[in-house]
Amino acid sequence: MTFAGRDALEVDALRTDRYLESLLAAHERRAADAPSDPDLDPAVRGAATRLGRDLVRLHPSFRFEERLATRLAQVAASMRLPAAAGAEGVTIGLLPPGLPDADVDPARDPADLDDPAGRADRSAPTATQAIPRPILIGGALTSAALSIAGAAWVAWRRSRPPQTRLD
Amino acid sequence: MARPVLRRVGAAEEPRPRVAHLDRDRRLVEAAQRDPARFEALYRRYLAQVYSYAYYELGNHHDAEDATERTFLSALTNLHRFEERAQPADGEGASTFRVWLFRIARNAVANQRRSERRHPTAPLEAAPLVADPLDVEGRVQARDEAAAAWRAVGRLPGDRRRALVLRFVDEMSTAEIAGVLGRSEGAVRVLIHRALRAVARQLREEGS
Repeated sequence: MTFAGRDALEVDALRTDRYLESLLAAHERRAADAPSDPDLDPAVRGAATRLGRDLVRLHPSFRFEERLATRLAQVAASMRLPAAAGAEGVTIGLLPPGLPDADVDPARDPADLDDPAGRADRSAPTATQAIPRPILIGGALTSAALSIAGAAWVAWRRSRPPQTRLD
Repeated sequence: MARPVLRRVGAAEEPRPRVAHLDRDRRLVEAAQRDPARFEALYRRYLAQVYSYAYYELGNHHDAEDATERTFLSALTNLHRFEERAQPADGEGASTFRVWLFRIARNAVANQRRSERRHPTAPLEAAPLVADPLDVEGRVQARDEAAAAWRAVGRLPGDRRRALVLRFVDEMSTAEIAGVLGRSEGAVRVLIHRALRAVARQLREEGS
């Protein structure tokens, strides 16, 4: 494509973008008439109007919505445990039932045919990444260590009589 | 943690910088980062959008529900990693959280599709939603037209199809779509323009 052709394409794309802005704004305020732009390719305008009407937003079933809400609440509650029991806790990630094995690397597999260039986002976590279900073990270990140290100190004190007498 | 975006407005009249809250979800996100139980508000706000995206990509309710579930579970458990990176160019009302969420959704859909090698099919159940339930003839026609429109969209290459769904179904701005797809805004504008021309051509060939 020549520079002039590319420029023309970008100008057309910008015009289309502005038309879509006004079209979607008209939908938002429930305006009956679609906006008009005499300079816009009529075919593009017709397709945009058609998709604005026919590509509707869908809502899942109420049952699914509430089931997932409950599951999220359970995961949220398990995430709050470490803070409630002590910040010294160490968390271990476990997968909730129904999820595949953890894939710690958030990078997308470029083998996906729909994304041959591998442009998938690498900063966003993948949906199969480990869902940590925190388990507090640090606090318990600390308590146990203190108990063992205390018992050892008592045993040591008992094995050694006091060096100074109080009498 | 979200960082305030400072913009100096009218320095002569207003010497102190004004904090512009660019991400409309900032308060909800910060609340959920402090207390994961507060994530529910974000979940309710974006459930239909994420589900719709997954449904248009995967073509059936079962797979769309799976992808939606994975998306929100992953978002909740990784929310501490989310950082708002709103730019002044994003404009008021933009949401970087929504972009982040849809990147996760995009990965979830890709994983779902990779596991099943399923291609989108016409979401015929959606068509009656836009028709008058008392007008049977009109409902059939609306259903046919919606199916034809979706067939045309479904035949588009991946990113063209996604860009149209994000634009028309989820009503994202060009900047937000660019964030989700990892492209420049100019590239997204050209993508959508070309996609609309292809859809127009498909509809003309079908005589619809």
